[in-house]
Formats: sequence, structure tokens, C-alpha cells
Amino acid sequence: MADDFMKPRRKSGPIKLSTVGAWLVSLIFFLPIAWIIGSALKPKQYVLNFPPKWIFVPTLSNITEAISYGNTAKYFLDSVIYSFTAVALAILISFLAAYSFSRFKPAGTDFLMFLLLSSRFVPAAALVIPFFQLYNLVHLQDSFLGLILFYTMFSIPFSVWILKGFIDGVSTKFDETGFVYGASRLHVMFKLILPQLRPGLVAAFVFNIIFVWNEFLFNFQLGGIHSYGIPVGLFTSITKDGHLDWSFVASIGTIYVLPLAITIFAFQKYLLVGLTFGTVRGEV
Amino acid sequence: MGVKFASKDKAIKAKSKSGQKGEKSFGWKLLIPVLAFFGFFNIVPTLWMLGLSFNDYKLISSNAPHYVGLSNYQSFLADQQVAHAVNRTFVFLAFAIIFQTTLGILIGVLFWRNDKLRGRRLALTLLFTPMVVTPVASALFWKLILDPNFGVGNYFLQIFGIAKIDVLTSQSLAFPTLLVVDTWMWTPFMALMTLAALGSVPKAELEAASIDRLPLFTVIKTVVWPHAKFILMLGILLRSIDAFKTMDLSLIMTDGGPGDKTELIALSLYRYAFKSFNLGYSSAISVFLLFIAISLTSIYLYVLNLKSRKEA
Repeated sequence: MADDFMKPRRKSGPIKLSTVGAWLVSLIFFLPIAWIIGSALKPKQYVLNFPPKWIFVPTLSNITEAISYGNTAKYFLDSVIYSFTAVALAILISFLAAYSFSRFKPAGTDFLMFLLLSSRFVPAAALVIPFFQLYNLVHLQDSFLGLILFYTMFSIPFSVWILKGFIDGVSTKFDETGFVYGASRLHVMFKLILPQLRPGLVAAFVFNIIFVWNEFLFNFQLGGIHSYGIPVGLFTSITKDGHLDWSFVASIGTIYVLPLAITIFAFQKYLLVGLTFGTVRGEV
Repeated sequence: MGVKFASKDKAIKAKSKSGQKGEKSFGWKLLIPVLAFFGFFNIVPTLWMLGLSFNDYKLISSNAPHYVGLSNYQSFLADQQVAHAVNRTFVFLAFAIIFQTTLGILIGVLFWRNDKLRGRRLALTLLFTPMVVTPVASALFWKLILDPNFGVGNYFLQIFGIAKIDVLTSQSLAFPTLLVVDTWMWTPFMALMTLAALGSVPKAELEAASIDRLPLFTVIKTVVWPHAKFILMLGILLRSIDAFKTMDLSLIMTDGGPGDKTELIALSLYRYAFKSFNLGYSSAISVFLLFIAISLTSIYLYVLNLKSRKEA
């Protein structure tokens, strides 16, 4: 990244216009989210004011109220349970597959990788119908098991792609050295290769969790009152008690968006590989 | 991997007790869990969907599903509403890609030139957050902002002397508004891809160009573009795939309305399945969408292969 060719020569001096521009762009993009956070912190009576009330004493009462209201806490807890269980399971079995694809290159590797990726590119609405029926048939609807199994599949394509990319990057000399010293395949895989995949594992873990958190349609259709997660909680927040309570919507939105923003801050360098399903790596 | 490694590999394999055949079957065994998941949670539902698409099956009618051949596909091809939704989706996709790519490149270049920006990480966090927010949340946020009675969006319009307006129920403005919100969500992604694309240009080549004092246009054409084009293309393709899937956004913001002004194909499909419960017909539409997804994936992997060949 550190190239100087198109840059003004001088680095010191007054603040550069492009610096202001970059910050301005960032703030503009964040403004709608900031407005929601602001609305959540606004005392209830001001939220529908027009023109909007700009100066107010912020309060946490909307947020604490939203957390204790109805199923809010459960939605969040459910999402955490699904995402962590499903993603952990997906990464474990994806690692086995990725190692096989990378080292053994079984016939049809490319085709299988293609199928995995394309399964993630199909509009959710297209696959939700057969899932809906199959889940009814095997009584998996509105169950944790059903959703965890679905989200495991949901997380597999990205995990396989990213881990295969990282295993390809580890020289086969490591495997060979291991064998020379009499290590078993499994020992080589888990003790020699796995520890070197740390960035891939972190990216797969963080971004799959975000994807599962954000998944709406399947949770809505396959789940039920016992198993809804955050997006359904957001979706149903507009019909709380039969009327629209924007303080409540903004509060749930804030509880949802803040951890996400913090995650993006903490794992920024994995964002690229995360959002391209492990197909593109590089610096940003 | 040179010949040397290959021969070494063979020697090692010969040494191992199981031998080459055992090794190969071990490779397959490692695939079993993923293949099992893929089979149960992908192949089976897809085949099921394929089967449904040849049947007349409505959940609300008491008739048992029965085979009707290609009739669902025939009505799909003759369905004007679906044709409009598909057209609208492509228009949406085209505008979304044009806006987001243009803005994304500009913003990406801005941050690329500012790689020593103070608080760069925080600035990028603020910029990137919209794209990781689930569309359900974004749609709700914008509904609050665009509310005709108290939304802050209308407040700003009033400052410029424009009367209060409900953009989400407006015949002429609902679709552009959806595009604006989509552009807000996904421009950061194209900025991210631009940054990655620019980052893939070898620094040595940039330095050489800078020493030779090549004009900017020449640098872009001969140094930047040959490297950057792949990642940029991948970004555009990923955006196309995603734009084609757009559903949550229009479901919550406009519910396809007013009329069918913001009805995109994924939303129509959802409606056919879960509002009119016509599973046979909606499966036929699903098969069509599946076909598009597979085609787009093929193009994506084609570009990805070009990229890795160039790097090798």
C-alpha cells in the first residue's frame, strides 16, 4: 500500500483536502446508523418530533426496556447459540474436506468446489420452499437442531474455500517432514498444518458467524416462536403490541449493530477475504 | 512443486504402511462429512425442488400433488408479472452496479491515497459497517429515516424547500429510493474491492512508473489496470449475484409496492410460495433462479482462474 507516486510530495503542513474528504465520506456512510443509535438514546417522547430534536439528554432506558421486553433477549441468545455451534462444526468438517481437496486432490475436486460456491449464490427464496417441506416431513421445523444443521451447511462453502486457499499456501514439505518422523496423517493435519491456518480460521469463524447472525429468510420460515433469531426479532419489532414503537425498533437495531461495528473494527484485515467467500486475499 | 518434490512424495508414500491406495481412500474419507451435509442439505432439496416444478401442488387446495409435465414452466414463460419482475431485477442490478462501482472506485482511490490517514481504521470501520448490517435492519433504519411524518430525511428536504413526501409509496420515487439504499449498503463493498485491487498492483512497478514520470493515464492503463482488473471484476460479479438475490430490502421497505414498482424476482418467488402457497409454480421459478446462480458462479470462477493464472 505504501506507494508515494500519486501523492502530493509534502506530508506535513496544513490538513490535506483528501484527508478531510476520506473522513467525510466515512461519516456520511455511517450517518444513518448513527441516527438510529441516536434515536435509541433519545427519550421516548422526542422520537417522533418534527422537526427532529437535536439536543437531548441521552437515556439508556429505551435500550434496557427493549432487552427486557418479550423475547428480545432470547432472540439474541438463540442467534449466538446457532452461530457458534454451527460455525464450529462447519469449520471442523470443512477443514477435513479442505485438506483432502488441497493435498489429495480427489477426482472432481474443482467441480465440488464449484458446486459448494454456487450453493451459496442461489437466492434464499429459491431453496427455502423444498427446505420448508422437508423440514415438515422430518419434524425439524422450529427446532434448534434443524436450524443448527441448516446453518452448518450454510457455513460450509465459505469455510472450505477459505481453508483450502490457506492450506494450499502451506508447503507440502511440512507434511513430508512429518511423515519422515513417523507422524500419522491426522497428527500432520491437526498438529502441523492446522496451527498455520490461523488467519483463515479466524476469518472463517468471524464472518460465518456474521452471516449466520444476519440470515433472515430461513430462520423465519424454518424456525418458529421457539427458535427465532435476531433478524426475525428485528422484523417483528415493527409490530410490537400491534403498533409501531420506533424507540423500540431503534433500540433493538442498536443492540444488533454495535457488536457488529466493533467486530468490523477488530477484524478489519479479514474483511476482504470474508466478504469474497475466501476467494480473494489481500491488503486493504 | 517441482519434479524433485514429486519423487520425494512418492518415496514417502511408498514408505507409509497403507501405501498409495490407502492414502487415496483416506482422502475420500475426509470428504465424507462435508459430502453428507451437502447431499442432505443441498442435493436433496434441489432435486425435491426440481420434482415439485413438474407437479401441480398448491398447499391451499385439497388436491394431492400430481404430475403436470412442463405446464409450470409454460405458465412461467407466459406470466407477464414474472417477466416484469425479472426485467425490473435486471434494471435494478444494472443501476446498482453502475452507481456502486463508480462511487466505490472513487472512494477506494481516496482511501488508497490516504494510507496514512489518521484514524484510518476507525474511518474504514464507519465506512464498512453498512455492508455487514443485515438488510432487514438496514430496511428498518431507512424506514424510520424516510418516514413521511417525522423522518429526518423529510426534514432535510424541507430545508431545501421541498414539501414532505412519502418516497416509499410514491409511484415514481419508490424504486429509485430502493436503489439509493442498496447503494448506501454496497458502495463500501466496491470501495473495499477497489482497495484490494489497487493493493494487488506490485509496488515495484508503481515505483518504476513514478521514477519514469509516466503520465497518470498511462500509469493507470499500463501498470494499474492489468493487475487491478481481476479483483474489480470479481467485485462486480459478486455484487451482481447479490443484487439478483435482493429480497429482504424490498420486502420490508416497500413490500414490492406501490403496485408492483419495487417487486423484484426473489420477492415474487417468495410471495408465490408463502402467500399464495403455489409450490409447484414457485419451484419452476426457483429452477430458473438456480440456473442463473450457476451461470454467474461459472463466470466468477472463470475470472478467478484468469487471476490465479496471471499471478502464477
